[in-house]
Amino acid sequence: MRSFRTLATYGFLGVMAFVSVFPFAWMIIGATNTSADIIKGRSWPGSALAENLSTLVTTNNVPEILYNSFKVAIIGTALTLLVASMAGYGFEVFKSRFKDRVFGGLLLLMSIPFAALMVPLFVLTGKIGLINTHIGVILPSVAALSLLFIMFYFRQATIAFPSELRDAARVDGLKEWQIFAFIYMPVMKSTYAAATIIVFMAQWNSYLWPLIVLQTNDKKTITLAISSLGTQQLPDYGALMVATILATLPTLLIFFVLQRQFVQGMLGAVK
Amino acid sequence: MRLNSLKSTGSLGAMLTAGALSLAAGTASAETMLTVWSWDPNFNGDSMQRAMARYQAEHPDVSLVVADFGKDALEQKLQSQLASGSNQGLPDIVLIEDYAAQRFLLTFPQAFEPVGEHVDLSGMAPYKVALATVDGTAYSMPFDSGVTGVFYHRADLEAAGFAQDDLVGITWDRFIEIGQSVEAVTGKDFLVQPFNRTDLLRLMLQSAGTWYTTPDGAVSLGADPRFRKVVEEYIKVMTSGIVQDAAGWTEYVGAFTSHDVSGVATGAWITAAIKANADQAGEWAVAPIPRIDGIEGAVHASNVGGSSWYVMAEGPNTEVALDFLNDVWAGDSDFYADILADKGAVGSLLAARHTAAYDAPDPFFADQKIWADFADWLGVVPEVNFGVFTFEAEAAFLAYVPDVIRGDAALDDALETYERRLTQAIR
Repeated sequence: MRSFRTLATYGFLGVMAFVSVFPFAWMIIGATNTSADIIKGRSWPGSALAENLSTLVTTNNVPEILYNSFKVAIIGTALTLLVASMAGYGFEVFKSRFKDRVFGGLLLLMSIPFAALMVPLFVLTGKIGLINTHIGVILPSVAALSLLFIMFYFRQATIAFPSELRDAARVDGLKEWQIFAFIYMPVMKSTYAAATIIVFMAQWNSYLWPLIVLQTNDKKTITLAISSLGTQQLPDYGALMVATILATLPTLLIFFVLQRQFVQGMLGAVK
Repeated sequence: MRLNSLKSTGSLGAMLTAGALSLAAGTASAETMLTVWSWDPNFNGDSMQRAMARYQAEHPDVSLVVADFGKDALEQKLQSQLASGSNQGLPDIVLIEDYAAQRFLLTFPQAFEPVGEHVDLSGMAPYKVALATVDGTAYSMPFDSGVTGVFYHRADLEAAGFAQDDLVGITWDRFIEIGQSVEAVTGKDFLVQPFNRTDLLRLMLQSAGTWYTTPDGAVSLGADPRFRKVVEEYIKVMTSGIVQDAAGWTEYVGAFTSHDVSGVATGAWITAAIKANADQAGEWAVAPIPRIDGIEGAVHASNVGGSSWYVMAEGPNTEVALDFLNDVWAGDSDFYADILADKGAVGSLLAARHTAAYDAPDPFFADQKIWADFADWLGVVPEVNFGVFTFEAEAAFLAYVPDVIRGDAALDDALETYERRLTQAIR
């Protein structure tokens, strides 16, 4: 009976693992085949990787596209973490009669779909002269991501931040911003790590807003580049797969580097 | 952008000199940079660059920058920007797929420049001009045509004892008979169709001069008897056993390029995908599409896909953009010969038919003059108003009519539900 259960467990996990890994395998195999072979359904590795890579590099300014994506994702992630953690800290630590109402109001904003905000946001971005700039991509995304989940997540994590630490720091004469920067941030390291993974992925993969704001090829991020590769008259699926690998690697790397802290952060920051 | 700024630095001296000269002459001449949004740097974007290279011979002070986005992405981007009412960052020229033309023109009537009032469009294929005409005013410069043909592996047809001419000038009923004979010998379906697309229906509808909606916006099913007749013919083709189902676009292209099926009936732009398989050179042929029997005016020519250029009324350089389109796109046959030879782009200028590029035999198609054929068919494609609701109509069609093809529903019931659903969507 027990062995049957083990078998069933492994069988189930095996199927799930296959379902999760298959798209990656397909992507990697695809990157080594010519477009014509991919269309014909060839599912074993080929020898066209170098050719696909050179097609991608000659038809797209890959370093510029990656630079743009990293710029938007890194600055966006740093700002989001800063804003969301400060807000989370503030909402939990300070006492005010209205704070729960304000917090509830902010949570309510989460229910407005982005599509409804897009047009007024575009007008606003245009009025302050940020169309076709990376700051124009980053700022609204910081606001959106902070409100969505991350601020909430930091507030929840801050519940576990011991008030004794803050009191002791105060007695030692630290100002509020010093407590935040030198006590709170190091203690909440794993919460930051977990949030980094989530926010970086969201920033890196963001598509709709950059599409609307960015107007020229030299500003494009990798998601936009991939979208235009896929709808060409004669899409080069091999080059597309190489581009997809390039787009996947940074988020994979971040996840592997921060994996331990991510799990810790999800379980609760302070032990 | 970076290149352009380098270029402008390089020409600083020249500009200063020109500036001094123009001051002296009392006329100002500054460098103009046209911006274009399109969706394929190898195809429509590249064609635009080639057109500009020709224009620059006479207008060295005009340059071009193309931004490319995915096709659907571009439509979404344009729609959002126009809805915002802001003209900041709008391009001068934008490419829109023909099926979406009326939707944009009617939703944002002030946004587009009436190209037909400034540019002579009389040499273009009439159906391309008609599809972007509102109240008698033409708004587009037609680009690539999706003029259709039946592309097929010659050997399959010959194996069943037919010659190429047997596919010329026939009806769909005869085509089904031939397809069934070919399948009996080769074991291969003659055509292929992705289950989630309606390309074949589009082809048949336009060849009969009808569409999902009438020019005044009503559902064709009740208002235009030709629509129902076409659908009946379509179902006859789909249930005859000569059309293979494909799970999606790549499987569709894979089916005829790996010779799992004998051929495909669609727009001329598919030629590039077929020719990508160099090992099949000499094995292919193109026939005109069959005609729908029993509909007056139905022809052996139709259109699937295609796109046109639009000038933004509030773009930064509207006048220059119009002059550029007029100068190159409206009449330069050599330009069209160039993009045909190098890019496989079948333009919409009828006069280009008489260039050497169009008249050249194509070795990939066993020296058939396929481009001359396409150019001939281009001139007789029936004019159709795609209206605003093509995509809603196809969603409704795909939701109910495939049940009839599978034998799970009666045609009358399915069409009645289709009509109800579409009427609701249109409201």
